Amino acid sequence: MAQAPVLKVENLSTRFKTGQRGKFVHAVDDVSIELRSGEIVGLVGESGCGKSTLGRTIVGLEKAHTGKVFLDGVELNRLNGREARERRRAVQYVFQDPYSSLNDRQTIGETIEEALLIGGLRSREERAAQITKLLDQVGLASVVKDRYSRELSGGQRQRAAIARSLAVNPRVLICDEPVSALDLSIRAQVMNLFLDLRKELDVAILFIAHDLGLVRQASSRVYVMYLGKIVEHGPSQELYDNPSHPYSQFLLSSVPEADPTTERDRELPMLAGELPSPVDPPSGCRFRTRCPLVADRCSLHLPEPATVSPAHSSACIRAREMHAKRRSIFVEHRAA
Amino acid sequence: MQHDATLKVDNLTVDLLTSKTAVRPVDGVSYSVRKGECLAIVGESGSGKTVMNFAPLGLMPAGVSTELSGSVKFNGRELIGLEDGELRHIRGKSIGFIFQDPMSALNPVRRIGRQIAEMAELHLGLSPSAAEARALELIKLVGIPDPEARLRQYPHELSGGLRQRVVIAIALAGEPKLLIADEPTTALDVTVQAQILRLLKDLRKRLDMAMILITHDMGVVASSADDIVVMYAARAVERGPVEEVLTQPRHPYTRALINAIPKSSDTVGTRFRGLSGMPPILGAPNPGCAFAPRCDLAVAECRHTRPLMSQATHSTVRFACPIANTESEIHGTGTCS
Repeated sequence: MAQAPVLKVENLSTRFKTGQRGKFVHAVDDVSIELRSGEIVGLVGESGCGKSTLGRTIVGLEKAHTGKVFLDGVELNRLNGREARERRRAVQYVFQDPYSSLNDRQTIGETIEEALLIGGLRSREERAAQITKLLDQVGLASVVKDRYSRELSGGQRQRAAIARSLAVNPRVLICDEPVSALDLSIRAQVMNLFLDLRKELDVAILFIAHDLGLVRQASSRVYVMYLGKIVEHGPSQELYDNPSHPYSQFLLSSVPEADPTTERDRELPMLAGELPSPVDPPSGCRFRTRCPLVADRCSLHLPEPATVSPAHSSACIRAREMHAKRRSIFVEHRAA
Repeated sequence: MQHDATLKVDNLTVDLLTSKTAVRPVDGVSYSVRKGECLAIVGESGSGKTVMNFAPLGLMPAGVSTELSGSVKFNGRELIGLEDGELRHIRGKSIGFIFQDPMSALNPVRRIGRQIAEMAELHLGLSPSAAEARALELIKLVGIPDPEARLRQYPHELSGGLRQRVVIAIALAGEPKLLIADEPTTALDVTVQAQILRLLKDLRKRLDMAMILITHDMGVVASSADDIVVMYAARAVERGPVEEVLTQPRHPYTRALINAIPKSSDTVGTRFRGLSGMPPILGAPNPGCAFAPRCDLAVAECRHTRPLMSQATHSTVRFACPIANTESEIHGTGTCS
């Protein structure tokens, strides 16, 4: 805890206009998160919960409505022009689909060189040396620099995209579903690359994904998001072992394990209703419309995050009680 | 007739010929599925799992000429060699389909009710008004709340989970005997996936249908399927009851694939277990074992002798690795059951 966070997001909200006047999609609503150097932090939640919008707002692909993003203590959204561009370069984004995130009319070498040029590397020889070094760092042979992205496999493309994002010496990588477009047998290789990069380059990684198993193993801490809000946050082992928000419990118990002896007769959990619209989110707790534990006071005000154990907090009025029980409220659905 | 398979595939080979290339995406695969049962077909992209199910039904891209050999029997009737007109009667009627992406499977400019009713008119010969009534029945069957109102809506007005339920309702409209679901939950969130898997399981039992579930998610397999076929590079490498294949995989590829799934017992921050190398690129049939370059057990012979499917000792599981099969006989690992 002694180390200052490299990236700090404070009370960030991002909203989008709808067709109607005065109505907005509240995609990210008053979210605060922190990342330290050399740390992989997971961000999980269902599609539409705002996790990608949060990532995109951090790098400046979306404009924040309110809130602040600090990089090494410098507030990014206050900067303008050249300084903003230079500072923001330290936060890079790795996209889900390496098929569309690379320019198919450039060779991999040209793609990386462009990033190096933007980073201010003037000498051609240095750039060439740097390209070889970056490709090596992501586990690609240097001959790849003369290939076009269409000549590479999905795993190789994603490695090339990672090499490009590393070209400007980032301090933070925002990885949005970086392995979900890859085949199962290739995923582990790319995940291990992230583990290596974190150590070698001391870079902080925000790992946005819906594969909860991958997130658990890769991340030291995890944020769980629901309808624009962080509902639970904690060290990943602790959070997965003892989720203390009804939504996290639901999410975690929805994943079928690859074990037919336990899965065959298990009733997968169900929730009432559908995800509410982020245009008109429920008052008070966002999850109350579907929560099996809902009480009258849940609609009155938003529950404050309650600390349930060191560095583990849950925004539910019954968080401590749930944490003490160490038992999912969806556990009755698990047949013995 | 009780034990007869709804679909029985024997030694199916598919060759695709375009003006420039010839590839064999399916190479001598056999499997079967019975009434009320679910067969999972697992493999990575390009392993042939989709082609193998769609090519015999005439569902291939235009401009590609498809050559089929082997046998595909649906309720005892041979499908290979059937005229397209005859196949069209089977497709969508006796065999229903569910595709991965519910948005592109639905017509965006037509109401939900019409899209379901259309299938009932076409396949069951119902009058438009009878078909509308059937659509309402179907939409109730797949558990869509507020069914009357939903029938009048357009696909974009529904969530991903509801859209997939509509796709399922359409697949069921012709009262199929076999349902082929190609990655039915891949585009959905885990929480919605749980609902759809539950629905499919329930429908299969209630309607006593056979189901083929094409997926790459072993969790989905564990929760839904009775039997499994594991595909690698156009060939089946292992086949058997899910209970056995998932808990005691025998083929080196199946072993590696199952081993690569992160477990809740893995320590946070440890390296991910995976496979080295890359899946082969589709091309000419491999004379040996396609997995050999990535296999720990590979010997020189593996590269030029094609491994045949053979039965594991004391088991109904069949797998295509003579090396692992002899190894299990020697060490007796195949015998504990």
